[in-house]
Amino acid sequence: MSIVLSNITKRFGGDLVLDDVSDEIPSGSLTALLGPSGSGKSTLLRIIAGLESHEGGRVLLHGRDVTEVPARHRQIGFCFQDYAPFNQMTVFDNVAYGLKVRRVPSAQRRREVDELLGLVHLGDFAERYPRHLSGGQRQRMALARALAIKPDVLLLDEPFAALDAQVGAELRVWVKSLQHELGITTILVTHNQSEAMEVADRLVILNQGRIEQVGAPEQVYDKPASDFVHGFLGPLTTWQGTPYRPHDLQLCDEGRGLAARVLDVIRLGFEVRVVVQRGDETTWVQLTHHEARQFDPTIGSVVSLCPR
Amino acid sequence: MKRRTWVVRTAVLGYVGALIALPLFFVLQRMFAHGFATLVSALENHEMDTALWLTIRVALVAVPLNVAFGVGVSLWIVRHPSVTSRVLDTLIDVPLAVSPIVIGLSLELAYAQDGWLGRPFAAWGLHLMFNYWSIVMASIYVSIPLVSRQVIPLLREVGTHQEQTAQTLGAGRVRIFFTVTMRSLTWATAYGVTLTLARVIGEYGAVLIVSGNIAFVTETLTLNISNNFENFTPYQGFVGAGLLAFSSIFVLLVLGLARHRERLRHEYRS
Repeated sequence: MSIVLSNITKRFGGDLVLDDVSDEIPSGSLTALLGPSGSGKSTLLRIIAGLESHEGGRVLLHGRDVTEVPARHRQIGFCFQDYAPFNQMTVFDNVAYGLKVRRVPSAQRRREVDELLGLVHLGDFAERYPRHLSGGQRQRMALARALAIKPDVLLLDEPFAALDAQVGAELRVWVKSLQHELGITTILVTHNQSEAMEVADRLVILNQGRIEQVGAPEQVYDKPASDFVHGFLGPLTTWQGTPYRPHDLQLCDEGRGLAARVLDVIRLGFEVRVVVQRGDETTWVQLTHHEARQFDPTIGSVVSLCPR
Repeated sequence: MKRRTWVVRTAVLGYVGALIALPLFFVLQRMFAHGFATLVSALENHEMDTALWLTIRVALVAVPLNVAFGVGVSLWIVRHPSVTSRVLDTLIDVPLAVSPIVIGLSLELAYAQDGWLGRPFAAWGLHLMFNYWSIVMASIYVSIPLVSRQVIPLLREVGTHQEQTAQTLGAGRVRIFFTVTMRSLTWATAYGVTLTLARVIGEYGAVLIVSGNIAFVTETLTLNISNNFENFTPYQGFVGAGLLAFSSIFVLLVLGLARHRERLRHEYRS
C-alpha cells in the first residue's frame, strides 16, 4: 500500500504552508516526517488523512486518487498527539467504534476488539474509562482503535511527544516492532530527530513547507543534502572554520593536534562535553566518559584537539 | 485558626440563609398555614390551574427551542469563528444585561399590530402580541444565553480531535454529532436546560408587558400570583408562589446532581 503525494500545496491565509511537496512512500515502510515546528509536517499528515483541505496537488493511496475522497472513506488509521480518547465511552467501546460504524455483527465485534486489546496489552482494561488510563495506555488504546478498521495506512501525529521520556522510549520500541509485525504502511510526524532515526526506516525532512531530503536515517545523517539537514539532525560545531559534529572531534596527544584552552567541562553521565577556545573560535567536543578520563580536561587547562 | 474558620463559616451561612433560605421557607410556611383541606381546594383553583398549564405549555416550546438554538449557536461560534459569529456571541448576552421590562417593552413596540415587525404579520391576519406566542417569544428572549454560556467553554476545552478521529473511523456527521459531540456536552447542556427552565417558569417582567395579563387566556403562573395579591386573595397567591418555589427546589436538586457529576468527571481526568 504505497502513498503517492504529488505537488501538494497548502496555504493558510497568505502563508504558504506546503510548497509543491511530492513523495512516494513505499508500501510497508515506516516513514517519519521530520521537521521543526512550522515546517508543515502535521499539515501534510492531515492532508493525507483528508482532515485538511489543500489548494493544489493529489494524494494517491495504492494507486487510487483520494484527493476528493472525504476522510471517512479513506480507510486510514489516525492517532492524534493527545490520543483524542472518547471520554464518555469505555476502552472497549472506543476500540469498537469503527466496527460499529461498519455494522460488524456484535459477536464478531467483541472477538476483534478483544484481540486488539490483547495486542496492545489492554485486555484487563476493557471496561475502564479513558480517564482511568495512564498516558501510555491511552496511546495504546488510540492505536487499537485506529487499527480496528484494518486501515490501509496508519498515520501518527507526534505519538510520543506527550509522554514521559521513559514511557515514550518504551513505546517507540514497541510501536516499531508492532509496525514490523503488521507490515502496515505507517507515517509518523515528529520534531525529534533521534526519535525519527530510532523508529523510522525512512526519513522525509521538511523545512518551511518544502522537502529538504528523503532517505534512510543513516544515509541522511551521513550525507546531509543541505546545511539545514546537517544542522537539524544533530548538533554542529565549527573547528578551524569547518562544521563538525562534536563527536567527530577528539582530544589527542600534544603535538598531534592544535592547542586550545578549556572553557567548560559538562558531564552528562556517559557523555562529557568539553568546550574549548582557540583564538576567536569556540568549539565543543563530545567525548565518552572513558575518553574524558584519559585526558582529564580541567577548566583553564590547555588541550590538543584533532578531528577523528 | 480553627476558630476563625468556624466564624467565617457561620457568617457566610448566616448571610446566605437570611437572604435566601429563610424567606423562601416563609413562603412555603404560608402555603401550608391553613391546613391540608384548604391547600387542596386552593390547588384546585381553576384560574391558577389554567395559569400553571399556560406556563407549562410555554416552557414546552421555549425550552426545547432554546436548547437546540443554544447548542447550534455554540457550535457555530466555537467551530466557525468569523466576524458574524463574534457579533452573535455578543448579541446573545444582551438578555443578561437588559432588564426584563425593557425586553417586554421592546418586543411590544416591534411586534404589536402597528409595530415595524408586527405590521407585515398583521396584514396576513397574524397577531403576535398579547397571546400565547408573545409569551413564548419573551420567554425565549430572556433565556437565550443560558444554554450557550454553559456549552461554549466546554466545547472550546474538548476541541475537535475526537470528532476528527470519529471521521477517520468512518462515521458520518449525524452519527458524530450524537455519539461524540453531544456525549461530551451532555452535562453542560443539562445544566443549561435547568437554568433555562427555571428562568422561563419564573419570568415575570417581560411576560407582564407582552401578555396583556388576561385571566384564563394570557395569565401565566407568575402573573397569577401577582394578580392574587392585587385582588386581595393573598393565600391563593402564596400557594402559587409555593408551587414556583417547589419547582425551583426541584431544579436546584437537578443542578446539584449535574454539578456533582461534572466534578467527578474533572477529578478523574487529572
